[in-house]
Amino acid sequence: MSERKIGVYVCHCGGNISDYVDVDRVVDAVKGEEDVVVARTAMFTCSDATQQEIYDDIQQLGLDGLVVASCSPKLHTFTFRGVAKRAGLNPFLYTQVNVREQCSWAHTDDHAGATEKAIRLVRAGIARTRLLEPLEPTVVETVPKTLVIGAGIAGLRAALGLADIGLSVVVVEREAEVGGWVRRLGPMYPHDKVGADLIRQLESEVRRRENIALFTSAEVVRKAGSFGNYMVDIKTHGQSSMTMQLQVGSIIVATGFDTYQPEEGEYGYGIEGVVTLPEYRAMLDAGEGPLIHHGRVVQSVAYVYCVGSRQGDGGPHQYCSRFCCSAAVHSALLLHRRDPAAHQYHLYRDMRTYGRYELMFLESRDKGSLYLKFPEDEPPAVQRGTDGRLLVTVRDQLTDQSEVQIPVDLVVLVTGMVPRENEELVQALKLPVGRDGFFNEIHPKLRPVETVVDGVAICGACQFPKNASESVASGLAAVTQSAAMLKRGRAELDPQVAAVDPELCSDCGTCYGICPYGAISPRDLTTGKRVAAIDPATCKGCGGCAPECPERAINLQGYTRAQILAMIDGLTKEVV
Amino acid sequence: MTVLTPDLVDQVRENAEFNASACMNCGVCTAICPLGSEHLPRGIFRYVLLGMKEELLKQQETVFSCLLCKMCEVNCPAGVHIVENVRTLRHYFDRQAFGL
Repeated sequence: MSERKIGVYVCHCGGNISDYVDVDRVVDAVKGEEDVVVARTAMFTCSDATQQEIYDDIQQLGLDGLVVASCSPKLHTFTFRGVAKRAGLNPFLYTQVNVREQCSWAHTDDHAGATEKAIRLVRAGIARTRLLEPLEPTVVETVPKTLVIGAGIAGLRAALGLADIGLSVVVVEREAEVGGWVRRLGPMYPHDKVGADLIRQLESEVRRRENIALFTSAEVVRKAGSFGNYMVDIKTHGQSSMTMQLQVGSIIVATGFDTYQPEEGEYGYGIEGVVTLPEYRAMLDAGEGPLIHHGRVVQSVAYVYCVGSRQGDGGPHQYCSRFCCSAAVHSALLLHRRDPAAHQYHLYRDMRTYGRYELMFLESRDKGSLYLKFPEDEPPAVQRGTDGRLLVTVRDQLTDQSEVQIPVDLVVLVTGMVPRENEELVQALKLPVGRDGFFNEIHPKLRPVETVVDGVAICGACQFPKNASESVASGLAAVTQSAAMLKRGRAELDPQVAAVDPELCSDCGTCYGICPYGAISPRDLTTGKRVAAIDPATCKGCGGCAPECPERAINLQGYTRAQILAMIDGLTKEVV
Repeated sequence: MTVLTPDLVDQVRENAEFNASACMNCGVCTAICPLGSEHLPRGIFRYVLLGMKEELLKQQETVFSCLLCKMCEVNCPAGVHIVENVRTLRHYFDRQAFGL
């Protein structure tokens, strides 16, 4: 029926594939498939030589379909799309078949079975390719303006970075004042720069810039549109409450964290003299000389680490909060400096003063800080002593597992970071939230600040616990990603998205609620008929809507109903 | 259960050297001690640092039986001056137990 010309390339991957899958047998089995004009193996299909071979085949044999059976599409989709494009073939007339992760690596104990599975997968790939049609990327023009949500240290620094590149910036802060947690801090590690000063410096710089608009007591309540051209509604609170609409090209989320609030009675929290790390910092930052609490000099302090972090299988906070070991040790150094006579006991599970912060740990030991390691299943107990002081009972694994009691004036619960409640923003932006409650990036190493929502980047401690310098570094990474996309002026988006056939659509409304990205909305045709329409720039091509449509009016381009059925036929065909 | 005496290390030290804060409890000293003494030196130093006075006072015999051979000190990965610390401890026992 059709007269396609398809080339099939089956990869050895050195031996990664061919040690288990008989690649010659695969080629023999599929070379007679309808429309296949060339089928061969290659030692490394991704090598320059084989890419050239495919290029020549496309040009000389006039191929109009390409099937590469090698590794995961995550690895080389763009490589082979590039080959097709260079040779003048529409890049979407190519199918990647994964015979490495799905055959050779998965079935090392069954060579025959792995080979048979590879044959079926390649046949399915061919069947799909026979029905592929050329697709062109969706092009959107980008608005050279970025919305930064949150004016903590990361958000403020990101705003300046964007402005330096020449983009307009709108900063929206929920609180009445900018600066978040850092504004409340005195000297911060590692250089003892005062947090409030850093924020003052950033804020005055931000206010001086003409291309930065800063709104405090304001929140983002709605986002519409797509990457490059978002419409956002911002609501301001207070005396002049109003909602305004802004057009921006990209969004950077820097909403920060909350500190863990211990339960009443957790490590004695609630007893006079038992405080959290932020409460302790406020006490330290308030004065000079020996620390005074309730009119008495604090002669001894016990720090209990990992409160609200590393809670094990049962707890909601299973992660390490990273910043708290260094922050507590730094606080201890501040007190050592102010009052060398003060006794300081650190009750820990594991000390994680990573990188250069290790030097603070060593310094604190030299200054007299004592470190006691308690067993995970036997945490320290805090009780009121008879003399008005506090009594901490702890088993020290470093002293013959001895159980000791430490009389102290103050107990500091070294509390970690927890995700901030931001349900409205999560809903408005469709932000991906991880199981731990923090926002998720696409790839922790290679795309560490981008989210699955195109043009929406995350940075700072809303992503996972970070200290101030790490937050700023990720903020500037988000600046680079945002600016790189906006400075191009236009964005090319993947055309493998869902589309509605207006002839078949009955406007039943089923799909509107299904789309997790809010890409589907009703549209009136010139004929007067109302149908569902999918914005190709907002659609992610997840395919969630297609099977739900009772009229079968929705197709995912590149994975249409006909293509999927043909693939199933290819998969189930007898292997001879 | 021991209640800690916070300034024990100052009592031990008086004007002499006592520094064991770099000790990370690896146990090389215990393993290498030719006397096979279980407590010397890391356990005893820990008693001093934390302020476990009762436990320390029970170790008089061990502290004075030390050969000062320095096997532990030359092998200590944290560079603790173990032998100097033991001398300081002997002075402490002289004052504490014998009133010298």
